[in-house]
Amino acid sequence: MIPVRNLSVVLALASSLTAPGCVGSTGSDLVTFDAAAAGPADAKQGQDYAFTSGRGYHVSLACARLHVGAVYLNRSLPTSGAQDTNCILPGFYVAEVTQGLDIDVLSGTPQPFPGKGQGTSERAEVGEVWLTHGDVNAPDDPGVVLDVAGTAERGGASYPFQGQLTIGQNRATPVADPSLPSANPICKQRIVSPILDDQPPTSRGIDITPRNGGSLLLRVDPKGWFSNVDFQRLGQAPRQTGGPCAGTSADAPRYTFADAPADPASNNLYSGIRYLSTVYDFSWSDSPKP
Amino acid sequence: MSLRWTRVVCPLGAAVGLLFLSSAALAQAEGVVSPRLLEHAEAPYPPSKLGEHVEADVGLIVTVELDGTVTKPQVAESGGVAFDEAALETVRTWRFAPATEAGKPVRARIRVRFHFSPPPPPPEPAPPPPASPTPPPAKATPRAPAPGTPAPPPQPGRSAGHDEPLVVDVVGLSAPQSRGASDFVIRIGELARVPRKNAAELLTLAPGILLSNEGGDGHAEQVFLRGFDAREGQDLELTVGGVPINESGNLHGNGYADTHFIIPELVSSVRVLEGPFDPRQGNYAVAGSADYELGLAQRGLTTKYTFGSFNAHRLLALWGPRDESTRTFGGVELYKSDGFGQNRDSKRASAMGQYEGKLGGGGSFRLTGTAYVDSYHSAGVIREDDFQAHRKGFYDTYDFGQGGDDSRYSIAADVEARSGDTIFKQQVFVIYRGMRLRENFTGSLLDVQTPLQSPHAQRGDLLDLDMTEETIGARGSARLHGEALGQKQELDLGYVARGDHVNGTKMRLQASTSGNPPYKIDDDLESKIGDIGLYADANLRPLSWLTLRGGLRGDLFAFDVLDKCAVQTVAHPSKSSPPGDASCLSQQDLGKYREPIQRASTASMALLPRASLLVGPFRGFTFNLSAGRGVRSVDPSYIAQDVATPFASVVAYEGGAAYARGFESVSFVAKSVLFQTHVDKDLIFSETQGRNVLGGGSTRTGWVGSARVAGEYFDVNANATLVKSVLDDTGLLVPYVPDVVVRADGALFGALPWKLRDEAFRGAIGAGFTFVGHRPLPYGQRSDTIATLDASASLGWSHYEVAFAGSNLIGQQYRLGEYNFASDFHSQGSPTLVPVRHFTAGAPRALSVTFAVNFGGG
Repeated sequence: MIPVRNLSVVLALASSLTAPGCVGSTGSDLVTFDAAAAGPADAKQGQDYAFTSGRGYHVSLACARLHVGAVYLNRSLPTSGAQDTNCILPGFYVAEVTQGLDIDVLSGTPQPFPGKGQGTSERAEVGEVWLTHGDVNAPDDPGVVLDVAGTAERGGASYPFQGQLTIGQNRATPVADPSLPSANPICKQRIVSPILDDQPPTSRGIDITPRNGGSLLLRVDPKGWFSNVDFQRLGQAPRQTGGPCAGTSADAPRYTFADAPADPASNNLYSGIRYLSTVYDFSWSDSPKP
Repeated sequence: MSLRWTRVVCPLGAAVGLLFLSSAALAQAEGVVSPRLLEHAEAPYPPSKLGEHVEADVGLIVTVELDGTVTKPQVAESGGVAFDEAALETVRTWRFAPATEAGKPVRARIRVRFHFSPPPPPPEPAPPPPASPTPPPAKATPRAPAPGTPAPPPQPGRSAGHDEPLVVDVVGLSAPQSRGASDFVIRIGELARVPRKNAAELLTLAPGILLSNEGGDGHAEQVFLRGFDAREGQDLELTVGGVPINESGNLHGNGYADTHFIIPELVSSVRVLEGPFDPRQGNYAVAGSADYELGLAQRGLTTKYTFGSFNAHRLLALWGPRDESTRTFGGVELYKSDGFGQNRDSKRASAMGQYEGKLGGGGSFRLTGTAYVDSYHSAGVIREDDFQAHRKGFYDTYDFGQGGDDSRYSIAADVEARSGDTIFKQQVFVIYRGMRLRENFTGSLLDVQTPLQSPHAQRGDLLDLDMTEETIGARGSARLHGEALGQKQELDLGYVARGDHVNGTKMRLQASTSGNPPYKIDDDLESKIGDIGLYADANLRPLSWLTLRGGLRGDLFAFDVLDKCAVQTVAHPSKSSPPGDASCLSQQDLGKYREPIQRASTASMALLPRASLLVGPFRGFTFNLSAGRGVRSVDPSYIAQDVATPFASVVAYEGGAAYARGFESVSFVAKSVLFQTHVDKDLIFSETQGRNVLGGGSTRTGWVGSARVAGEYFDVNANATLVKSVLDDTGLLVPYVPDVVVRADGALFGALPWKLRDEAFRGAIGAGFTFVGHRPLPYGQRSDTIATLDASASLGWSHYEVAFAGSNLIGQQYRLGEYNFASDFHSQGSPTLVPVRHFTAGAPRALSVTFAVNFGGG
């Protein structure tokens, strides 16, 4: 033994070599942000919105309201296989706005969602718009998703129209293969996905990275809704009395979207609101208000 | 005997234990009551005799004064100068209740006999840090003269019949050999005064250990150690008296270790070895290992009743026959509580018993039995946004179906015997374990619609895990002693073998349906798991102050797994006989028949070199450098036919320094360790699985410091750990692992200056403080800090004691566990699918009072 009176300095030196602790990060971030939705940028609140549809109709919308139950941004495109059937992909969501909004599509002014969005600061590639009033898997949903009214003209003929669409059993896809009873779940009808930044084959991700304090803007362009609608095939019905678009048309509507699978024009309008990047566009701003 | 040597022998003493033999009755003269021993310390084996490895007996005659002190010790039967001195120095510290004659205290001369057995193994050439700063507690009681012991001559002034001898034998188990500064043999002693809910919390006496529990009172504690999220033991080898606690094949976590069957009062010490540096450490010793040593210092029959907050009741009965060693005991614990907040009620019962006997030649054997059952509910996690929006309270729950049930039964036998220069050990054990666990981390997120199923809404993510495990095993070793280079050299050869037969099922339960019927089977596995290890551990001393310890261990892991639910989906099902909602399918593509089961078997071997270099040229100091490789096997769900078992491998390095010194009656131990550990397959928490799953590699670098100061009336232990854990591929922090943990425990105890019926009151206070820094969470977040203070105060007199205890006295509403992941508990209008903060609530302030009575303890 070598007597040493005090070697505590050795321990002190060892203790001083403590570099780690409380530094570094696990990466990414949890964020909250403002969220809003609007019609086309050129739409003016209180004014009709006019355009020419893909079938050559000059459409003038007097009222257009779309109910969006929720908005999600997803980190990656769904792959083929079982995920094609899944409506919710665990662990891949980057941002969400879960409180719904009835969007006045004829206003280009951003309309805030009732609550803030939340998510992670990871790059989103895909957007989803959920057209639902509650459980996305509910067999039926009587809530109106689209309420629209206006006038379409082509070849000197005028078609004042109105319509309300729901997504319930009227949009359920019949089971073709009894061994796959849930090959086409109703949730797939209510979720518009994947929304990219452009149409195939040049489609690319929406490329949005949410950040704290920023804002997400969803723009809905109604032109795409009517791109394949043949108004002259609409049936005539009494003017509707309920809903925000009731009575807003100058002329009493005579042509009505029947909201039934047997009505081709209704089906085309329904398909129209589920068009992807021609109807829905996501954008991000690092400032609080869109 | 110097205190320094006392401390040197303490590591031995911590494991050696004492047998205090006594008879039930004393021969007494009429109206005369012999002195009764109140306080005593064990006599350390003289270090100068360690090399000789001899046994000795010393007979003393001492005077017990009126105040109970010991004076005028004389050697009546010499065992040699060194042994005589050890006995004389020790007996002077003893305190008695004086003898009485006709009710009045009188001086008395009595005989005390010490028996010294060499504590195997031989002592350190370079004294390592003592395992405990003071000798382990022990009790001695007066007994009749041993056969052949001559009666002492009558002394002037003494009363007839006061010369009965006290006999002390020093025998028992050999001690573990220290691996350096991160080898903590923690004697519980008076630190038992610090309030602790269970035996798992004793682990926090070792540096860097943080316990968490998101699963409820009956759920095993989640252990964080030196930068590892060891979950419920997956990265920490846990044993009790050498019997494994880790459960191989448990689907909740391979190596799941529930220590709740251990009655805390029956734990005498815990050895925590941080890092894989001892060849005896086996499977799961990734972050380290912990071994509970059982013992009961308080002899006689002790009963305790505790009543506390949240309608908690605890009834405890302990007994330790006075004429048996501290390792002979029995104990039963019954406990129930309504729990704090919603859905946290629990009930448990535990019984433990052990008998230690002596064999010829200084050998000993132990028979141990345990039984344990519990039933509990748990609250699970709460979303932070729901709490902030007042949709949920801090102590609420989403899913009242969460909880669990456990059972564990074990018997074990071990023997230690000496033959010439070799010490042989052998142990066998049998364990039966049952476990049911119901947890829901994600609400209603995972029940996705598959094409095969009938249309359904989300049915909930409540997991129902059930395990049945039967374990049989043995371990043995032979420690050879020799001499070379003028120093004693050792070689230890040993084996460990265990086989596990495990049945495990994991199902999903319907949340909204009465009775929570299962709707899906995730796993249904029957596994036969074998682990046989062989090790050689050398203890080489080229110089008196230099020791090289280490060797090689090899483990063969064998798996034979029958998956009873091997087919869970089929791309093109039979149209005539579609599988529908069944979980386990008996068809393959295009409806072709197959059995739903599948067997897979494989085996792999791991070689694990380990070494520690201990240098101690300076008095009181020991420095060490250690390196070692550890291993963690995987659970059966990862097994594929003939694919090598993908066990995780860990490599650890450390440099440490320890200082131990005695100052009069005060002992002091301090340690400082720098370490780095790399594991190639880390465990990362998966909320969807409700457990940790295999991830990539990670590296931990950090520092551990600890100090313990103990004296006659106090005992203080404090430790701190700083660590940085990063993932190899990204350099980002490993989530959930705390990088700063501080823990301090202290106790003040002693006789009070008040007496009643000539017996002094005893008082004690204990306190424990925990601080946990901001833990890294996924997505760049940090958790809140945790700071809790627990304390107790007790007052004892004669056979009685009353104690008041309080936990979380600061009253901090703290988040014990915090997590970032996606969940959907239907708390908002639409599904919530992005990661958000969740927490499990820490216990609020709780108070309790305990009444204890001891009979026949001497």
